[in-house]
Amino acid sequence: MSARLARGLRASLFWGAVALILVYMTIPAFVVLMTSVSPSELLEFPPSGFSFRWYERAFSYPDFQNAFVNGLIVTAFASSLSLLIGSAFAYLVDRYVFAGRAALEAVLASPLIIPHFTTGFGFLLLGADLGLGQSYAVVIATHVVLTLPFVSRTVYVSLRNLDPALERAATNLGASPFEVLKRVTLPLLRPGMVGGWLLAAILSLTEFTASLYVTAQRTQTLPVAMYTYVREYTDPTIAAISALLIIFTTALMLLANRCLGLRRILAIDVH
Amino acid sequence: MALRSAAVLAIGAMLLATAPVRAQDKLVVDIWGGNFRDGANEAIAKEFTKRTGMPVEFITGGTIDRLTKAKINRDHPESDVTVTTSHVGALYVSEGLFEKLDMAKLPNAKDLFPVAIRSPYHIGLYSYVYTPAFRTDLMPPGYDIKSWKDLWAPEAKGKLGLPDFDPSHIIIAAALLAGGNAENWKLGIPLLEQLKPSIKAFYQSDATSQDLMKSGETPVQVLLSINAFHQMQQGIPIKIAIPKEGAVVGIDAIGIVHGTKHLEAAYQYLNIALDPEVQAKLCGIYRCGAMNEKAKLDPELAKLPGVFTTPEQWKTQAIVVDDVTRAKLLPVWKDWFTENMMQ
Amino acid sequence: MRPRPFFLWFFLPSLAAAVLLVAALGEIAQYAFRVFTPGSLEVGGFTLDNFARLARPIYLSVLGDTLLISLATSLFTLLLSYPVAYAMVRAKSDFLRSLIMLLAVTPLFTGEIVRTYAWILVLGSNGFVNTVLKSAGLIGAPLGLLYTRFGVIVALVQFSMPVMIIILATALAHVDRNCERAAANLGAGPAQVFRHVTLPLTLPGVVSGTVVIFAWTMSAFSTPQLIGGGKVLMISNLVYLQGLSSFNFPFAAVLSLLALAVAMGSLGSMHPFVSRLELKAAIN
Repeated sequence: MSARLARGLRASLFWGAVALILVYMTIPAFVVLMTSVSPSELLEFPPSGFSFRWYERAFSYPDFQNAFVNGLIVTAFASSLSLLIGSAFAYLVDRYVFAGRAALEAVLASPLIIPHFTTGFGFLLLGADLGLGQSYAVVIATHVVLTLPFVSRTVYVSLRNLDPALERAATNLGASPFEVLKRVTLPLLRPGMVGGWLLAAILSLTEFTASLYVTAQRTQTLPVAMYTYVREYTDPTIAAISALLIIFTTALMLLANRCLGLRRILAIDVH
Repeated sequence: MALRSAAVLAIGAMLLATAPVRAQDKLVVDIWGGNFRDGANEAIAKEFTKRTGMPVEFITGGTIDRLTKAKINRDHPESDVTVTTSHVGALYVSEGLFEKLDMAKLPNAKDLFPVAIRSPYHIGLYSYVYTPAFRTDLMPPGYDIKSWKDLWAPEAKGKLGLPDFDPSHIIIAAALLAGGNAENWKLGIPLLEQLKPSIKAFYQSDATSQDLMKSGETPVQVLLSINAFHQMQQGIPIKIAIPKEGAVVGIDAIGIVHGTKHLEAAYQYLNIALDPEVQAKLCGIYRCGAMNEKAKLDPELAKLPGVFTTPEQWKTQAIVVDDVTRAKLLPVWKDWFTENMMQ
Repeated sequence: MRPRPFFLWFFLPSLAAAVLLVAALGEIAQYAFRVFTPGSLEVGGFTLDNFARLARPIYLSVLGDTLLISLATSLFTLLLSYPVAYAMVRAKSDFLRSLIMLLAVTPLFTGEIVRTYAWILVLGSNGFVNTVLKSAGLIGAPLGLLYTRFGVIVALVQFSMPVMIIILATALAHVDRNCERAAANLGAGPAQVFRHVTLPLTLPGVVSGTVVIFAWTMSAFSTPQLIGGGKVLMISNLVYLQGLSSFNFPFAAVLSLLALAVAMGSLGSMHPFVSRLELKAAIN
């Protein structure tokens, strides 16, 4: 009897703690949503009313419009290039043995631990010395390098989980290596590649620290424009944009979870 | 299926992205954000567009950040006209980032106070002060600032906010208190070190300054008079002090970016900015002193502390340090300040 | 193995990316040895002076602060993340697992600025916490949460938790439940099973998660910048102050190298603790 009681007590303690921790993780998003519809310029809880004025301002502020377009340009190129390079790299590591493989692996995985400001600062110096300044090329190159490890990891996991017998069977049936790649390997890798691309796109869209260094006004992305706004104005317009981003990301996560399985994208489960 | 739709999406995004979005001809002005941008838009840019039909786009950022970006992108300048603090303007000039001005193209320049011609490359637009100010509702009754020394008072302990981007005001004030001046600023070091317990936070921009004041996080600040007036208009009870040693004068200046493709338009923008009526309007918005002698300031505005209209005021209330000295010492001051005060 | 078809197709793009990154880091290394001319972006000849400057007390204290904040962040992150990861992997209902996953992982993808700004709203003098406490009559004057190390760490822990949870959940998902059952059958209580079986089996994940968060936190920029309000300085803020705001590129480069060295060092220190098995698990 008492053992069961103890177990119940322990379980409710555990779940209570988990719930509290999740509240701590979620409360900032909740406060942002609340602030974003507050009519007042000063922060207040609870809001004294309901208004979309900060959303209107966010949509009509030219820097955000430009930065949003810039962000899409950078993300479209960076995540797609990252997908191409990252997939090629994952295939390379999985299938070939060559001199310098370990070194290449170490270099391309290193952005995971190199501080983003170091990477950004390096690309800023590189861009300045190559006469490229803070152009799209430099921003995109930075984002490709930063997102590459995530893409290659996701694709690599898919490659590992791929049944080699399928490729062998195709070869035995007379398919050329190119046909095997195109008709067997690539289709099987599709979910991993889509997941990797999605991961790269989100990371590129929200990347801030390195972008602060490598972007100029005409190439700045949304997070950089938001940072500048926080420093220049004190009204809750940022809360409105943040709320939109939170809603968008949550919807995307729900969708990804439904279609691809978040656990697979994040490589938590191996089967 | 998923892959193909992803690819279609990506290609679509790229096509969308590369489509010519901004082909229109416009004048690009780089300036600080917030009410600086809004005021320049209201007073200068609208008039410019009315007269020339050319739209103006503002790009914004911190003083030194914009200078750094201007240097990095010198081969592809982002803007046509730059508005910056006068002594930082001296750095633009020494780096060759400004066009030499042809005064014949700026008819309004003849009416300016002599102090406005900062160099053959940049011209003062308006003046203001950096000075101590405090929230009357958040400080103990009877608290007042009569001297810079009052920032060291026990009442200000843990309540002071200072700018991190330009420490020159407090360094100059400490030097004066210690019997020195800008050149031998090191005399003020012991005083500065004693100031540390007073400091609550460093603000990084005009907005952070206003935010720290508004929220009461730092009810005492060394701040830009323009920001203080802006907040007083919003109903925040702030008192601006002009200490007996004087307030540190600043002049914001305008220059034409070297290599601009819109040289004639840039000249027109400068000339309009110096026009007496535009100057009066601009100073009415910013609450600052005009550089054009003929600008007719609102008498209410002329009464404000730090808005100097007579030579007498300039003599007794202003601490003026010349641009080149300040520009040369600024990096030294910033290094010293970061290493010794900001921790 | 014989060279296979398309080797160059796969090799060259990867090589190009690696070359770019190495070139960018090479630039930093190169600038670190150049003479700084105050007020100018142009650098002079070669020198070691920039490194000598690191010996000044402020840089040691900022480095110490950075390490301390990173250490505190990674430890608190670990403590708070483990129960969540455990619940996420072990919850019986599918819905609950998905819900926890969503709540725990989504913050990772909203980006640094959104999250930092959110914490400003939560911690400020007129922010959420102070308003709630004040209206509940628990405090008279607002608590100073913003512009303190405490505030910075509270925000950093929340940012770091999603990554930690993913790493721990991966480790927990690999634990063979039969080992736990065997221990329980041998008479171990739940606490003992956890301490003697589950925890040791997930230890590699614990170590690698802690180290990864430590390295991540080392590079945090906007949180100390905006929530620290200049009163909490980390290496990243100094790099920005020196690089973009004082255009002392050479010294900013030295500080970047220092941060890089510490990040690499902390990862290197992980090696003796983590077996090959864990490395494999981390990749898989």
